[in-house]
Amino acid sequence: MSAVQIAGRIAGVDAGAPIRQSSLWQDAWRRYVRNRGAVAAGAVFLVILAWCLVAPLVSPHDPNEVDFTNAYQGPSWSHPFGTDQFGRDLFTRAALGGRISIGIGFGATLAILGIGVVYGSVSGFVGGKLDNGLMRFLDALYGLPYLPFAILALAIIGTVNFWTMVVALSIASWFITARVVRGQIITLKENDYVRAAKAVGVRWYAVLGRHLLPNTLGVLVITIFLELPGVILGEAFLSFLGLGINPPDASWGSMAQDGRDAYRAHPHIIIIPSLAIATLVLCANFIADGLRDALDPRTKET
Amino acid sequence: MALLEVSDLKTHFFTRDGVVRAVDGVSLAVEAGRTLGIVGESGCGKSVTALSIMRLLPTPPARIVSGSIRFDGRDLTSLSERELEDVRGREIGMVFQDPMTALNPTLTIGTQIVEVLQRHFGLDRRPARRRAGELLAEVGIPRAHERLDDYPHRFSGGMRQRVGIAMAIACEPRLLIADEPTTALDVTVQAQVLDLLDDLRRERRMAMLLITHNMGVVAESADDVAVMYAGQIVEQAPAAELFSRPEHPYTEALLSALPDLEDLEARRSRLTAIPGRPPDLVDPPAACRFAARCPFAERGDCCVLEPPALRELRPGHWIRSAHPASERHLSPV
Repeated sequence: MSAVQIAGRIAGVDAGAPIRQSSLWQDAWRRYVRNRGAVAAGAVFLVILAWCLVAPLVSPHDPNEVDFTNAYQGPSWSHPFGTDQFGRDLFTRAALGGRISIGIGFGATLAILGIGVVYGSVSGFVGGKLDNGLMRFLDALYGLPYLPFAILALAIIGTVNFWTMVVALSIASWFITARVVRGQIITLKENDYVRAAKAVGVRWYAVLGRHLLPNTLGVLVITIFLELPGVILGEAFLSFLGLGINPPDASWGSMAQDGRDAYRAHPHIIIIPSLAIATLVLCANFIADGLRDALDPRTKET
Repeated sequence: MALLEVSDLKTHFFTRDGVVRAVDGVSLAVEAGRTLGIVGESGCGKSVTALSIMRLLPTPPARIVSGSIRFDGRDLTSLSERELEDVRGREIGMVFQDPMTALNPTLTIGTQIVEVLQRHFGLDRRPARRRAGELLAEVGIPRAHERLDDYPHRFSGGMRQRVGIAMAIACEPRLLIADEPTTALDVTVQAQVLDLLDDLRRERRMAMLLITHNMGVVAESADDVAVMYAGQIVEQAPAAELFSRPEHPYTEALLSALPDLEDLEARRSRLTAIPGRPPDLVDPPAACRFAARCPFAERGDCCVLEPPALRELRPGHWIRSAHPASERHLSPV
């Protein structure tokens, strides 16, 4: 434990349980904007999102138009990211690919969150034998390797599109989220107000939904940005293997796959999507880090 | 028949260190419209008794191993969780010890009271909000209707306890269980909250189970008193009788441990404490549980050999001891 962490612990203990005047989210925002790396990452993240959304709408180039006279162009004013082996504009295509990559990323992350929250919160809230059973089952699943399982899932489903990718990428990666949520619920359910809510006859699912889950929101927001990089990398990996989105649609992974054949002569075709993936993953990690510091009251003194 | 009849209730905690007999054979009855006070020191099983009645103890580790809890003729121990949810708040309300933690900090108090009203009365939002405002006014919160949208942290401890009481009585329960309702409050506020509870009880003709470790609180509000020790009731009597003629050595000790401001002699001396500690509830003594601290128990005495039964010494005055005050001159000392 570093000196800073120890100082944080002590400051947290000394503060006792102060009456909170500003709301949790206001506090968190103040702490987040003080973290320059996280703010920069957030800005870059937004720029990438905006590019993916806007570029295809305003671009003069059709992303799927094949033009062999223009193949393998380097970056230029008319093609900022150059063109690929079919002469397609990479600036537009990478933006479209980003839509799919980020879309699948968020889709799978939300699915992970959904399964994890339901599984973890029921397990933690009901407790007892059910909790024991569900957790042992999770232990058994824990050993499943994530990517081979995704490949297997795709093979079983048979078709590859946006939604099957979401299923494949989330089906073997919700275990950690379920555990985290269960832990949170178990801590929270010891609160007096939970007992008080039960004592006035609030139904158990309403206690869970209204009194417990909203208090895990901070953790869930962090989880989104922690899971996102893994899922996006997973998608890229599957697409790179040729198991991802079918052409002519593209994701960053399948674009990198396109660039593999000519990577010595025309490296920009593989570099552009790879750089996009790397930047996005880096940003997500920085944001997750910043959020964790911002939402953890123990880091209050920084 | 009494509104609430608990008979031979045994609630045990099954822990790794053994079975903790937190409540071990408690019987009590609360008549409609009357207040029964339960007194006893920390860990004697008062709160576990209350939470057993509400069926709010986490199982495991806690389990009601035997006994019955009859509320208005229905045995609460045999109800399903779903049926219990209908009883809680509607038929039996509960006020908790610490008002700083018994309200959800992330919801406005209006939301929390409206939730109860909608749950049991199926009211729409608007009438429920109006009713919530009336309830807050009834428990003495100034500018009640404006304060519905405030979060709990904007209220003082005493005011929060009033909000907690408003929630507990929102659906007009017939029994109110108050578990140490004044313990966490400033002394100046304690009396106000007790008065409020008493007024509400009288106006709404509720029965009340008042749990406290404070003899003064019991003296002020209770009609009948049960004294608990080590998971059992050791003495039970009408309040006036108990305070004027305590029989059990433990009750006597509790009363003499109260500081007396009138007695100048006593003011100069040290406060009297009861020597020793309560017994271990994992492995309680086979005989009288108070014997080790009892000034009247002697070696070879009957009370270290077999447990004394709860017997009716005078009409309405029950005691679990071989050495009640009124029989002491009979025993050779």
